Amino acid sequence: MSAICPRCDSAKARRLATAPVDGAWEIFGCPVCFFTWRSSEPDSITDPKRYDPRFKIDPQRIDAIPIVPPVPGKRPQSS
Amino acid sequence: MIFHDLRGFLDELERQGQLVHVRQGVRPEPDIAAAGRAVTDLGEASPALLFHALEGYGAARLALNVVGSWANHALMLGLPKTASVREQFHAIAQRWTRFPVPVERVAEAPFQDNVTTEIDLFALLPLARVNPMDGGFYLDKAVVISRDPDDPENPGKQNVGYYRLQVKDKNRLGLQPVPMHDIALHLRKAEERGENLPVAIAIGTDPILASVASAPLRYDQSEYEMAGALAGQPYRVVKSDATGLDLPWGAEIILEGEVVCGARELEGPFGEFTGNYSGLRRQPVIQLTRALYRHKPIFEQCYVGTPWTEVDTLIGLPTCVPIYHQLKADFPEVEAVNALYTHGLATIISTRQRFGGFAKAVAMRTLSTPHGIGYCKIVIMVDETVDPFNLAQVMWALSTRFDPAKDMITVPTASILPLDPLADPPGIATKIILDATTPMAPDRRGDFSRPVEIPPGTREWTAILGDLWAKAKAGER
Ligand SMILES: [Zn+2]
Repeated sequence: MSAICPRCDSAKARRLATAPVDGAWEIFGCPVCFFTWRSSEPDSITDPKRYDPRFKIDPQRIDAIPIVPPVPGKRPQSS
Repeated sequence: MIFHDLRGFLDELERQGQLVHVRQGVRPEPDIAAAGRAVTDLGEASPALLFHALEGYGAARLALNVVGSWANHALMLGLPKTASVREQFHAIAQRWTRFPVPVERVAEAPFQDNVTTEIDLFALLPLARVNPMDGGFYLDKAVVISRDPDDPENPGKQNVGYYRLQVKDKNRLGLQPVPMHDIALHLRKAEERGENLPVAIAIGTDPILASVASAPLRYDQSEYEMAGALAGQPYRVVKSDATGLDLPWGAEIILEGEVVCGARELEGPFGEFTGNYSGLRRQPVIQLTRALYRHKPIFEQCYVGTPWTEVDTLIGLPTCVPIYHQLKADFPEVEAVNALYTHGLATIISTRQRFGGFAKAVAMRTLSTPHGIGYCKIVIMVDETVDPFNLAQVMWALSTRFDPAKDMITVPTASILPLDPLADPPGIATKIILDATTPMAPDRRGDFSRPVEIPPGTREWTAILGDLWAKAKAGER
């Protein structure tokens, strides 16, 4: 089951889980920005149009986000 | 009293009236965050919370605010729940000197009762979003265990620390290794070798390990050997047959896996102890391979946000004490260190003075301690007669002993942790020393020759009045 990510608007989000006991909710995850949410959360979290614009993510700009810590180069193999 | 696990400590909290059971049905969001915020606002003796009925999670249990108050912190140390912060500081400072206490190795642990490689964190843990704009569900009171890939048999270089963990999938976590912390060094060595870094994650441990895991120990100091020092008894561990890592015997849940060499994925934001959301970063990832857990495991979390929260109590004194001992090694005049505020971004130190200018020298040394390099943005120096944990006394010292023209030192472009919201650029800040000690020869300034002393008999009257007040509270006349 797919869904729209409230944070980056990607259509690739998918269901990761349903409530283990009574099916009260589902959890979704976005493979683009790694946002996760529960279907029972308020609209301000689950609705892409209502998600706080200060926290929205433009998928085009993810490559510019800093890498921490940087990936070090491999050590030369001792022979 | 020694607590080998979280359950034993919760039992003690219950006996002491410091545990509240929440049996009514609650929603993971927004109730857990709201309750977590509300409970620390109940004050210095706030109780731990144990939730029994989270919507969708059946009978799964979630503990919050376990060491969220000075009362609970005192009970963790085996002290009366009324012990003052200063008394708790000196108790830890004294026990610290017993380090190292070798671990107790045993073959079996309760968490071995359930073992699975089919990991589904969403079913195993009653997760709840900590703050509304967090990028996901987090494990924020889990300790991560790792070792030095270049020296794997060295127990001192095995690290147990807190690193926030973002749940990204059923068996995948985001990891935030702060560059100044030990796991970042382990990961760098593993990646230089082109290897994954094996890790274990322990959730719901005894409170002493939770406390020590937040302390800025030296790289080659073992958290387990320090936990033994604080508890007064060897710390009990079990060696993992999968990773060889030493695991805390009493843990409710153990997750095993590897930090994936070279992988970086979007992580965050997360509402942090600075009272601000951290920025987004591309950070390392843990792929989980196995979960072990006790029957009906208790999941433990803490609310994090604008201070005061459990984080501030938990990491407060374990932050103060190493700074105290590092200073004391060269300056035995140092009396106490209060680095409780925002993990020591503001630090207050009381000291005797050998001669004029001495307190400023101690302050400059504080800036260059291992913790001071990343914190200690504001250092306030007070006399040994001032209790640095008593802010009324500290403000009195500042208002009567501090001359901005002569007692203020600023250090531009100093190092700071990147999470400091005022850091500009991240990692860089101006630091300041405020010397509110009484000027001492040859620094002759002001007139402090006629201090008002405590009236004779005050101590006796403190006892008399305390006794009368207790009787008054009990309804006696
Ligand atoms: Zn997304």
